Amino acid sequence: MSGLSLHGVTKSFGAVDVIKGVDLVVEKGEFCVFVGPSGCGKSTLLRMIAGLEDITTGEIVIGGRDVTWADPSERGIAMVFQSYALYPHMTVRENIGFGLSLAKMPKDQITVKVAAAAELLQLTPLLDRKPKALSGGQRQRVAIGRTIVRDPEVFLLDEPLSNLDASLRAQMRMELTELHARIGATMVYVTHDQVEAMTMADKIVVLNAGRIEQVGRPMDLYREPATPFVAGFIGSPRMNLYANIKGVDTYGIRPEHLTLSLDAGEWGGKVRIVERLGADAFAHIDVNDLGTMVARIDGEADIQAGQQVWATPIPERVHLFQNGVRI
Amino acid sequence: MNRDIAKSRQRRRIAAGVLTMTAFLAVFVTPFIFILFQAVKDRRAANRLEFSWPESWHFWENLVAVIEARNYIVLLAFFNSTIITVASVTLLVIFAAMVGYVLSRRRTRFNGIVMALVLAGLMIPPAVVPTIWVLQGLGLFKTIHGFVLIQVAYGLSFSILLFRAFIATIPRELDEAAIIDGAKPLQVFFKVVLPLLKPVVVTNIVVQSVTIFNDFVNALYYMPGRENVTVQLTLFNFQSQFSSQYNLLFMNILLITIPPLLVFIFFNRQIVAGMTAGAIKG
Repeated sequence: MSGLSLHGVTKSFGAVDVIKGVDLVVEKGEFCVFVGPSGCGKSTLLRMIAGLEDITTGEIVIGGRDVTWADPSERGIAMVFQSYALYPHMTVRENIGFGLSLAKMPKDQITVKVAAAAELLQLTPLLDRKPKALSGGQRQRVAIGRTIVRDPEVFLLDEPLSNLDASLRAQMRMELTELHARIGATMVYVTHDQVEAMTMADKIVVLNAGRIEQVGRPMDLYREPATPFVAGFIGSPRMNLYANIKGVDTYGIRPEHLTLSLDAGEWGGKVRIVERLGADAFAHIDVNDLGTMVARIDGEADIQAGQQVWATPIPERVHLFQNGVRI
Repeated sequence: MNRDIAKSRQRRRIAAGVLTMTAFLAVFVTPFIFILFQAVKDRRAANRLEFSWPESWHFWENLVAVIEARNYIVLLAFFNSTIITVASVTLLVIFAAMVGYVLSRRRTRFNGIVMALVLAGLMIPPAVVPTIWVLQGLGLFKTIHGFVLIQVAYGLSFSILLFRAFIATIPRELDEAAIIDGAKPLQVFFKVVLPLLKPVVVTNIVVQSVTIFNDFVNALYYMPGRENVTVQLTLFNFQSQFSSQYNLLFMNILLITIPPLLVFIFFNRQIVAGMTAGAIKG
């Protein structure tokens, strides 16, 4: 049984089509990540699933039930917002239990459920604090706690890590993945950060301008991007893409699939800059007639800016696209 | 050398401070001292209207005379004014918060019209005679509840603007989180939004209650009749064409100035907080 499915979902604001027909099935227990550049409609799509935005046409099915026109609270969803949206005047306990008290659940049951959620998220010592007395990571966990007590069919998370600093973000990424493994819930996660998408997802949905570009497992998207857009979006640093060479519309090769040589190779060029990250380094090369090419090299490699180098692609790692489709 | 410059700069700063304080003292405190002096003089001394130290002190005497005047009308006036102020401010806060909430959250094509009406309420002076005509038609003229409605109508625009600006600073995601948690629209407002409006509610209560309590002109227009007297109208008790009792008049002023003054002294800080809270994001 599917956790969530969308059939021909569209959304227009006046004459502007924001979502242009989305069909998608998210299996029960799957961690699905919507990823795409700013303004591609990924947050709008999430808000449509949540019921915060009306849909123009199409239908949304959650847990086998058509909820296209249901109220947000009756869809079996729970949502974590980018800004967490904790109620500032309530304690952590009240924040987590708010939905349950609105549903007129008996007090003792609420206490039990809140305590269980707090235990799971290590919030027990903080239950009587107000949100402003919490750190960013703790607020994040309260926001998640608020969704867990609702026992939803689908968890919706809207860029939940974007307000955290880099090290905390890496930690929360792990915690979220572990949490997902433990409670086995269906999760839909929106991000513009392809690292989050690659590391956390069971299934990545790449969105571009209101359309799904490709759906698949992270490594499948990495190995066989279906369109030049996905090719450029997944992977860091991004794939080198060139138009109209070697008889195809778009030719792509990832920086990590180039080998550099000082003597000979496919493309010759001058190194403009070398970014050294430690283990790896990225050489930005000005290749005649092609433009900039980025190659990943060993962090200790003896290549300096201004040097003449030759780059050669690993043949089986080349991506060719004709008419916007992989060949 | 440098220390001398710093010292002279500090001296100049102190001098400027002292000068400013003196100016403020002269402008704001002198009239109050004048009221105090006048209020404790006897009738002859007071009628000279001099700014002088009282020759004899009649505080208690004057106070009793003011309260007993015209069969304890001051007490009735305090009673009426309190009812009017409390009722009007309560309605103002509830209505203005609701209108401000809807105006700042729900974007429809009526927003522009509603905002224009709100601004019109602020800019266009109310016409007295047509208002009386309408009140008479509704049977509300010369009644306290009619006057409460007048005060609510006059104060609503200002309160709405305060609330709207403040609510715009409360993230919309809070509403949405509450909706997903299963809150109905009224629950979103009363359980999530209203508790966060405390600073601006305090500002509204203070500003509006002082305005309404101090309102003289509207009470004069809309509340004729002895039983409808409000505190500001009691000022007429001791002034007439042929005789004036300035000592009692000033004692009366003193009496009716105290409540708003106390409100201001205690809530001073919150007023500014609420006024400026919405100032950054409009």
